[in-house]
Amino acid sequence: MKYRPRTFLLEAVMIVVAIAFLFPVYVLVTLAFKDPQQIANKPLGLPSPPSVGSFGAAWREAGLGSALLNSTLITVASVVLLIAAGSLAAYFLARTATRLSYGLYILFLVGIILPFQLGMIPLYKLVDDLGLLGTYQGMILFYTGIQLPFTVFLYTGFIRSLPADYTNAALIDGASHLQAFMHVIFPLLRPITGTVLILNAVQIWNDFFTPLLYLGGSGHETVPVRVFAFVNQYTSNYGLVAAGLILAALPILLLFLVLQRYVIRGFASGLKG
Amino acid sequence: MALDRSVSRRRLLQLAGGATVATALGGALAACGGSSGTSSSGTLKVIGVGDQEPGLRKVLDSYKSAHSGFDFNLSFAPADQVQTALRTQLGGGNAPDVHVVYPGSGSAMSMVQLSKAGLLADLSSQSWTQKVPDGFKGAFQNDGKTYIFSPGSSMLGAIYNKKAFATAGVEPPTTWSELLAVCEKLKKKGIVPIALGAQTPWITQLIPYALVPGTVYAKTPDFDDKMSAGQASFADSGWVDAMNKYLELQKKGYFNDNPNGTTYEQATSMVGTGKAAMAVQVSAVLSAFRAAAPSPDDLSMFPFPATDVAADNWIPAGVVVGIAVSAKSKKSDQAKSFLEYCGQQDNLNAWAEAVSCVPLYGDAKVDAALTSFLPLLKANKAVPFMDQRWPNAEVQPTHFAVVQQLLGGKTTVQDALKKLDDAYKKSA
Amino acid sequence: MTASAVLVRADEAKRTRRRGGIVPPWWFAVPAVLVYAVVVLYPSIAGAGSAFTDWSGVGSARTFVGAANFKQLVHDDQALGALRNTLLLTVAIVVIQNAIGLLLALGVHTRIRSRMILRMVFFAPVVVSPVMVSFLWKFVYNPAPDSGLNAALGAVGLGGLRQDWLGNPSLALWSVAFTVIWQCAGYSMVIFLAGLEGVPAELHESAMVDGAGTVARFRHITWPLLAPAVTINVMLSTVGGLTLFTQIIAMTNGGPGYATDTLSTVLYKQAFVYGKFGYSTAIALVLAIFVAAVTFLQIGYLRSRETTV
Repeated sequence: MKYRPRTFLLEAVMIVVAIAFLFPVYVLVTLAFKDPQQIANKPLGLPSPPSVGSFGAAWREAGLGSALLNSTLITVASVVLLIAAGSLAAYFLARTATRLSYGLYILFLVGIILPFQLGMIPLYKLVDDLGLLGTYQGMILFYTGIQLPFTVFLYTGFIRSLPADYTNAALIDGASHLQAFMHVIFPLLRPITGTVLILNAVQIWNDFFTPLLYLGGSGHETVPVRVFAFVNQYTSNYGLVAAGLILAALPILLLFLVLQRYVIRGFASGLKG
Repeated sequence: MALDRSVSRRRLLQLAGGATVATALGGALAACGGSSGTSSSGTLKVIGVGDQEPGLRKVLDSYKSAHSGFDFNLSFAPADQVQTALRTQLGGGNAPDVHVVYPGSGSAMSMVQLSKAGLLADLSSQSWTQKVPDGFKGAFQNDGKTYIFSPGSSMLGAIYNKKAFATAGVEPPTTWSELLAVCEKLKKKGIVPIALGAQTPWITQLIPYALVPGTVYAKTPDFDDKMSAGQASFADSGWVDAMNKYLELQKKGYFNDNPNGTTYEQATSMVGTGKAAMAVQVSAVLSAFRAAAPSPDDLSMFPFPATDVAADNWIPAGVVVGIAVSAKSKKSDQAKSFLEYCGQQDNLNAWAEAVSCVPLYGDAKVDAALTSFLPLLKANKAVPFMDQRWPNAEVQPTHFAVVQQLLGGKTTVQDALKKLDDAYKKSA
Repeated sequence: MTASAVLVRADEAKRTRRRGGIVPPWWFAVPAVLVYAVVVLYPSIAGAGSAFTDWSGVGSARTFVGAANFKQLVHDDQALGALRNTLLLTVAIVVIQNAIGLLLALGVHTRIRSRMILRMVFFAPVVVSPVMVSFLWKFVYNPAPDSGLNAALGAVGLGGLRQDWLGNPSLALWSVAFTVIWQCAGYSMVIFLAGLEGVPAELHESAMVDGAGTVARFRHITWPLLAPAVTINVMLSTVGGLTLFTQIIAMTNGGPGYATDTLSTVLYKQAFVYGKFGYSTAIALVLAIFVAAVTFLQIGYLRSRETTV
């Protein structure tokens, strides 16, 4: 297919749609660059002159430096564990055809529709009994468990679409099951691992309620907890609030830019499953 | 109510004295030093709600500098999140050492509901509890035991922009008819008479709270007792008058357009900038309004009149949100000595000043914006916020919802109040 | 997604059986099962027990009340109104989000030069926290004529369409739905894109040689081959709509009045605002079973459709 006048027309239409789509983002970004006077007088206009003071103030006031470290640590550790535990389990579930494996698979998937309120108090009690309240480990355990169903679902679909022959060859070479998995299967899972990584990272990074519950007051608060405490404190200072929201969303947007090609590829493999 | 009145008399005399004497504040002389005796180390975990931050933080800081080895870990969250997080922690048997509690009985985080579940430590042995005015005892005590510390009471009335009033050439009204006339003049000048941010649920209740002391309690001071005895109802009381007046203000165009879509923050900035002339509010949020205005002196408060009989225009004055010691706290000695410290006059005054409320006891300077409330307090014409005597946590959210429905034209005053009666009858 | 996925994969499990190969050891599944059991299964089962009690959520006082909470639910006007809102919201989200997602996917699955950047633009809101998106949209929905969406409508000459977006009880539910659709349309788009990439280009080329127009090719080639993507998208958005919570609490708290309350917000309020934890758990159980049933029926229909379209 070539670039024709019709393609140009389509391009124009899509760009107009994208501009309308981005309107709320425009509102947010321009707010962050305006001082209160400009916000009151020209709520929608471009900032003139733009002021960047809000970003520095939001960064300091919300304590975003240490919050970014906390969020990064929790997100990275949880995602690593999810990939390890999820891919291993999915490999077992996808490659065995017993009643047990089918039952386990269904059991995992049930986890997605259970309303979070159901287990909230018993889980809190459990985390407390384990001495993990206010710790990184408690949060990492929580996210690994809560995101496993989705992870297992994505991996299982992908592995089923792979031919089985590779492992057979490796095992005949005398490798153990684990070695065969790590050196032969896991590298083949790269596209779906990219999808698992980005989608889980988004969920964990953005979660607000659980870290508020488990980390509040511990000094280990994540970015959303700090930002919303800050937003609450400065509710009517829209410029500061907008700057805080932008700073909180930026890291995850950057991660998405880096990994975005995996998102589509991972889904595509899931569909073929 | 009878108790309320006798007690607030004594208290009001103290207040009036305080207003004229204007003793110095600031807690420079933190009286305690080593006197409290317990200097246990460790970090006290404290969870508060956003509104109380300025005061609570101030007192914690001064306690820390007076007690070596003491440290605290303070976190705040918006009201609904603190409610969810705290209830989960309480349900899981792991509460912070000190946490926010609402006075009275009308919410799931209220003193009565939590103390009934055995979750709050008894504070009755602390000396400041003896100074709680009798009229406020219902907010602080359950079965004769004190479970909550609160720095004082917040006045509810109209926060107004003096410049906007001057532009329209009007003065704070003292009767309902005068109020309507003032609104009319403001409206003609192109100023929104009353900013109403009813998209934010708790804002919806403020105008009824401002009106019912005049339409209900001035005539039936023991209305709360009659309600709990089943001898009175919302639907057959001065509440009807109050709700009709609420709607009258809307019908006459005295609110901003679309109050149901306008938030508390938007309404605050309207009054601060003079786009709107007033908002019915509690004195605890004066600081937020002042922050939104070019100069803090632009704002003041007056009692919001409910009737045309000036003598009937009572005011609502509610004990502000406080703190309690968790019954399960492992550091309860330390937590209790901190509350004892909060109860000392200087510290109480410092906290009260930070949240623009009238200190619970003692002679202290009161925010100048509250001057016009003091004579009413002195005359025992103050009524606690209505929800503090409601029997369960469902009445207040129902009130929020029916007001939004009324403003949205989706229900009638009779149906709305009947829903409130139904909620009132539910079990705690 | 859960129940859907179960059925989606049921047939494949059979296929795998035929594939043979060496079976991985059972302990591969142990770490995941353990963590999942500790974090999800045990707490949920322990929590579900309180659906049969009158527990307030705090303290130790609780009495076994049998099915009383479930009986109460049938007569609870607030819960029934919430059920109605939940269904309306879900239908709106499923239909509109997927229609927009499909159109966007078709638009960026072409030769246009900006296709990569447009894909990113449309997907970006998906990665932003729902609380944050709600906060932003609350600002956009400011009813004042000179700010947010109303100002933008005025600027492009559509001032007559200005609304009290979140304050009008008849409109608020749709305003919330629109925010969710704005945030999630990119998610649907990506799944449709994945489906479109599986449509062989040769099919289109030979159809063009035969003189088939754009619409005809979509109807007879693209649409049938998109069936698996439709299935997943419909499932995901159905579960998402039925359990929608954060955006409602953050934007309207269920108001004005009860106009945007859904089952999720009602069960939340029962637990944490009214102090009726037992009753709340009963609603949560009913919701979970309802979601499972709806997804189960949907997947049955959509999977059978995949083979016939």
